[in-house]
Amino acid sequence: MPGFNTTAPRFLLAMLLALPVAAQQTQQQTSLSGVTRLNKAPVSAEVLRVKLPRPLEGRLSNGLRVLVIEDRRAPTFSLSLLMRAASLNEPPEFQGVVAGATAAVLRLGTRTRNAREIAETLAELGGSLGVGTSFGSQFTSVSLSGLTENLDALLELGADVLFNPSFPQPELDNLVQRQLSALIAARTQPSFLASERMLAVLYPKDARKVAAPSEEALKKLTRQHLIDFYNTHYKPDGGLIGVAGDVTLKDIVARLERVFGGWRGTPPEPPKLPLERPIKERKVFLIHRPDSVQTYLLVANRAIGRKDPDYIACMLMNQVLGSGPASRLFRNIREEKGFTYGISSGFSASHYFNDFMASTSVRTEVTAAALEELLKEFRDMRDRLAPADELDGAKRAMVGSFAMSLESSSGLLSRAILLREHGFPADYWDKYPEALTRLSAQQVREVARKYVPLDNIQIVAVGDADKIRDELKKFGPVEEYSADGKPRGAAVK
Amino acid sequence: MQRRVSLLFWLAATLFAASPPKPVPPVKFTDTRLDNGLRVIISEDHHAPIYAIAVSYGVGSKDERPGRTGFAHLFEHMMFKGSANVGPGEHFLLVFTNGGTMNGTTSTDRTLYFEVLPKNQLDLGLFLESDRMRSLAVNAENLENQRQTVKEERRLAVDNQPYGRTSDRFPELAYDAFPYRHSVIGSMEDLDAATVEDVKEFFRIYYAPNNAVLALVGDLDTAATLAKVRKYFGDIPRQEPPKPPDFSEKPQTAERRELIYDRLARLARIDVGYKLPQGGSPDFDALRALNTILAAGESSRLYQKMVKEKEVAVGVSGAPDQRIGPGLFRFVATIPAGKPPEDALKVLDEEIARMQAEPVTEKELLRARTVARRSQISPLTSVLSRAISLADDAVLFNDPGRMNTVERRIAAVTADQVRQVAAKYLRPENRTVIITVPAGAKAGAE
Repeated sequence: MPGFNTTAPRFLLAMLLALPVAAQQTQQQTSLSGVTRLNKAPVSAEVLRVKLPRPLEGRLSNGLRVLVIEDRRAPTFSLSLLMRAASLNEPPEFQGVVAGATAAVLRLGTRTRNAREIAETLAELGGSLGVGTSFGSQFTSVSLSGLTENLDALLELGADVLFNPSFPQPELDNLVQRQLSALIAARTQPSFLASERMLAVLYPKDARKVAAPSEEALKKLTRQHLIDFYNTHYKPDGGLIGVAGDVTLKDIVARLERVFGGWRGTPPEPPKLPLERPIKERKVFLIHRPDSVQTYLLVANRAIGRKDPDYIACMLMNQVLGSGPASRLFRNIREEKGFTYGISSGFSASHYFNDFMASTSVRTEVTAAALEELLKEFRDMRDRLAPADELDGAKRAMVGSFAMSLESSSGLLSRAILLREHGFPADYWDKYPEALTRLSAQQVREVARKYVPLDNIQIVAVGDADKIRDELKKFGPVEEYSADGKPRGAAVK
Repeated sequence: MQRRVSLLFWLAATLFAASPPKPVPPVKFTDTRLDNGLRVIISEDHHAPIYAIAVSYGVGSKDERPGRTGFAHLFEHMMFKGSANVGPGEHFLLVFTNGGTMNGTTSTDRTLYFEVLPKNQLDLGLFLESDRMRSLAVNAENLENQRQTVKEERRLAVDNQPYGRTSDRFPELAYDAFPYRHSVIGSMEDLDAATVEDVKEFFRIYYAPNNAVLALVGDLDTAATLAKVRKYFGDIPRQEPPKPPDFSEKPQTAERRELIYDRLARLARIDVGYKLPQGGSPDFDALRALNTILAAGESSRLYQKMVKEKEVAVGVSGAPDQRIGPGLFRFVATIPAGKPPEDALKVLDEEIARMQAEPVTEKELLRARTVARRSQISPLTSVLSRAISLADDAVLFNDPGRMNTVERRIAAVTADQVRQVAAKYLRPENRTVIITVPAGAKAGAE
């Protein structure tokens, strides 16, 4: 167990000349789209490489694993309890509703405290308590954070919420009303409308397509649905507790044992859903949002799973293509063309999702021009080898940013939990920089050809349909929808 | 027997009693002024091998002139388009391809630039910030390019959003004096009117070392870092101090109210803003405590009353905005579908009246103090947030270490002070109200 004190350096640091930096040493102007490089700035040729600390591990008597990152910088802690209460295990007619509502109402009443008392106690103790599940996650999480001096009182409150919920009917009614309004508000947001359509396109066969609870399901939801979901799924087996902050492993395990040690039970397995191959035919989905002055573009296709050996090459390829202001999409479509305020791309790879997406908002008049530029960048990525200095820059960015990740203890904990969830070896992050550094331009082009869609790209455009319909037809057959998510049959032809 | 029970009771009580609050460790820093007027603040933190650099310039939309709204923010974008030794866009590339991150942001009162980089790239951060402070390079092509980007930013954040018109209109209605009587993002017409000459003049007046504060926080050696700062920034010439804007306006004597029909909104919203004194006024500590009790989070009176009990809002928030000039205490509540916004306004008024009539409870004061304690603690785990606080608090309040006194200041607030500031500022004649309603209930439907 490594010692932990705030003054001595706790991370193994190595200054390595891991990557060539030829471009930095020549004092001449070079060009890259959207950028003029004068190469006069003093850049350290070394890439600071760090080893990420691994969490300390303990176990409660009921088998619950505890991962801890000790951090003395501030008298606070943050705790996440993950349970295998997967939203995809919801009854089919209540997809996207039951798991979320159970989590939300859980913290709104116990046998001895009402919602107001829970909120006031949290505020007095300087704590936060969240219970939630993201759709398509295998877990429901209870997140508890706060001042270390109130750790026991906060744990007691968290346990009361978890073990003695009363699911008050008025709280459920109030939640449903607020959710119905939230749903109405979401329909004003182009990004929501685009995601809703794109998920239906990419994951049409099962609950993964659900972007939000439906009005019908919300209105039919009863307190009994919540109680049933709670009784069946809120069980410790297969879960874990992560704690980061001003605690020690020994002490926190003892405190957690008092509160959670007697908890027993096995939840049903999360469903196994296949990750499908990319869609073959290109198609355009146009969502009419009247009075829009911009078009929100979301392009995607199914791509790669998290455990695929190509995954690291995909991360590097995306660093070049669409991750941040140094990437091609940003440099071209924002910095050179001035079509947008922001643009980016990325992979989503988890147990249930395997897609590559890029998105941007552009003024209505340049909808087609922006889409053409985007496709041009996709084509280049697939057809041409990335120049050596561009690729090296992307590698330096990724390896160098590891130093940054040391700052957040809860971030380090999340990385460790991710490894576990996917069954990666514990030294995954230690080997990651090396694996990244070894990748060649050929390998990067290869994954672009496999996973960056072009002829089969799925395009969702949210905007004023009457102004952009005709030009979108150049990109493929167009299907039209209203902002309420319904097909607009007549308008298509 | 009796004795044993008692012993066990005390044992249990000890186990579950809260341990005494540890004092929040203060953020230590050095505060130096170079000969050219640049204020340099350095704070060491050796937890991770990184550092943050923040440069806060004492210029914002308050310094714009009529016909040039949005200019301070447009200018911020120009700061990434090159200087004597850094090409257009090269700033992004150098920071991100060396494992760093960066951004810039403009408010009414100040413009902030920052980077976080691995510690071995200290020279890079100092070079990038000093080169653009010394020698911003502007040309018509770059200006045109960023004008387009900023107009897209305006469309994204305002024109293509529900309540966008409301956010534009609120400062125009609430203020009489020009510095705050317009939005930070500005109007399309004014963005179109900006010229290269405007950029050069703005740079000369406002982007001088004596109008800026540089903060560095992280895995640094203070003396060596200060020596490097002198090397990179020491010879940038100072300028005449800019003329402070004239914020003065007559005291407000009647409520100002407008109704906006919004074509992109589907839920109604109320925006209510009460005029406040200038930032740094001693009343702000009580106003901050008042805000925690009245409007912050699920334990607040407004949430409990408006969202839970009466169901006249689906969400409500409040914030006393502290500025160099007169601020606003702004409340925003979103209205459930089918309910009248006036109901929400009525409940808000009732709750404010209660704040003015009755003292808040000890428990409520404890909550305000605890929230303050957490907000003082939270920057301790982020070099960037400390760098930003140090630089901004120096620019806005001439008090870089302000973050170290948050808990103490809020803990000193009494129930009577909370009642007094509620009575002093949250008066109907001192406020501006905008009610936004959806223009067509069927917008987007077939």
